[in-house]
Amino acid sequence: MRNLLNFFFKNGYWFLFIFLEVVCFILLFRFNNYQGSVVFTSANRFASYVYNFSAEVSSYFKLGSINTQLTRENFDLQVENQLLRKRLEQMMPDSSFNKLTTSLSSQHYQIIPARIINNSLNKPDNYITLNKGKADGVEAEMGVVTGNGIVGIVYMISEHYSLAISLLNSKSSISCKFKHNDYFGYLKWRGNDPQYAFLEDLPRHALFQQGDTIVTSGHSAVFPQGLMVGTVDSIADSKDGLSYLLKIRLAADFACMDNALIISDKNRIEQQELESFIVNKP
Amino acid sequence: MIVTFLIHLGWFALLVLCQALLFNNIHIFGCATPFIYLYLIIKFNADTSRYALLLWGFALGLAVDIFENTPGINASATLLLAMTRPGLLRLFTPRDSADNFTPGINSMGSGLFIRYTLLSLLVHQTAFITLLTFSFTDPLTMLVRIISNTLLTILCFWGIEKVRT
Repeated sequence: MRNLLNFFFKNGYWFLFIFLEVVCFILLFRFNNYQGSVVFTSANRFASYVYNFSAEVSSYFKLGSINTQLTRENFDLQVENQLLRKRLEQMMPDSSFNKLTTSLSSQHYQIIPARIINNSLNKPDNYITLNKGKADGVEAEMGVVTGNGIVGIVYMISEHYSLAISLLNSKSSISCKFKHNDYFGYLKWRGNDPQYAFLEDLPRHALFQQGDTIVTSGHSAVFPQGLMVGTVDSIADSKDGLSYLLKIRLAADFACMDNALIISDKNRIEQQELESFIVNKP
Repeated sequence: MIVTFLIHLGWFALLVLCQALLFNNIHIFGCATPFIYLYLIIKFNADTSRYALLLWGFALGLAVDIFENTPGINASATLLLAMTRPGLLRLFTPRDSADNFTPGINSMGSGLFIRYTLLSLLVHQTAFITLLTFSFTDPLTMLVRIISNTLLTILCFWGIEKVRT
């Protein structure tokens, strides 16, 4: 008996080691499907407070480049405004159509401006931390967009912060289509380069060429239709030869993001309920 | 006793914040990141109990994980380092040193200290990169990251040692 006790006393650290390693692996493997684990991410109160503070400090140093970017965006918008005004004048006779489109775009989607307080690029699974949470009306599965293009989908939320799955994440899969026609595929990231992602499952008979613009398809109800994603960089065949595999140059610059918009479709829950019927029906 | 604990706690906070806010954003050539927070584990006195080492290692790894959104990965790698450290340190302990010496360039000399940190960091990085990528499909990239992270971290430790003395 004494020998046994001695043994445990002498080698107890082995048990502590194994116990703690088991705790680590539980954390590692349950993270993906356990919403409560938001405590162990940068969206918890203390870590996000620290990141918020550091983002506030560093945003002062970015003011110059943000200004130039805003001026450029302003210019683009002005040009677009001119163009749209001209088109509106042409369309004036049919005013009912105009009313319909504008009311759809303004009522359907709710927009919450947020700041990106933490973001990574070089891991196999990257996440974005935002400074808006449950209290500001953010919910899981809302889309995250910057001025240049879409960047991710909200994954976990705490009271005042939220954690979004970046496009640069192996779990991310977003339904996208061409701007000029409706052939669609799924956008996935395959690691390494944060500037490029791949569009998979695009049918063989789709019509497109290099340099075409890719936008969101609006099928998933996370993003509205027509948000900028990127441009076609190169074209290849998928492994099984049944579909195209496009290398997409992402429009959003993940290395330099500060402000973002969180968008949600107000009718999203209705659509999800409707779609869940298909899954539940035998 | 309490004083050394508070000193360690101060180092803990400082290193975790430096790692989260500064060093995690460094990717030299797109892959090399210094793991500065391991300095705490490297520098514990030679006579620190294994239990204390394990608990510090676990807490340290978990704190960095929380900032990095990699739950459990840094924690388990750092835990492994804390477990193997007494053995590694014994390999490189100079002959006539006291029981409770602090590992460092002053007490061990540059050669032994660098060899000690090199081996420790290789243990940590191998575990860390393996868990992070979780596949062996691209062993070359893994190897490059393990080696570049290790070398860059050693350079940082050497710099800290030189500044502190």
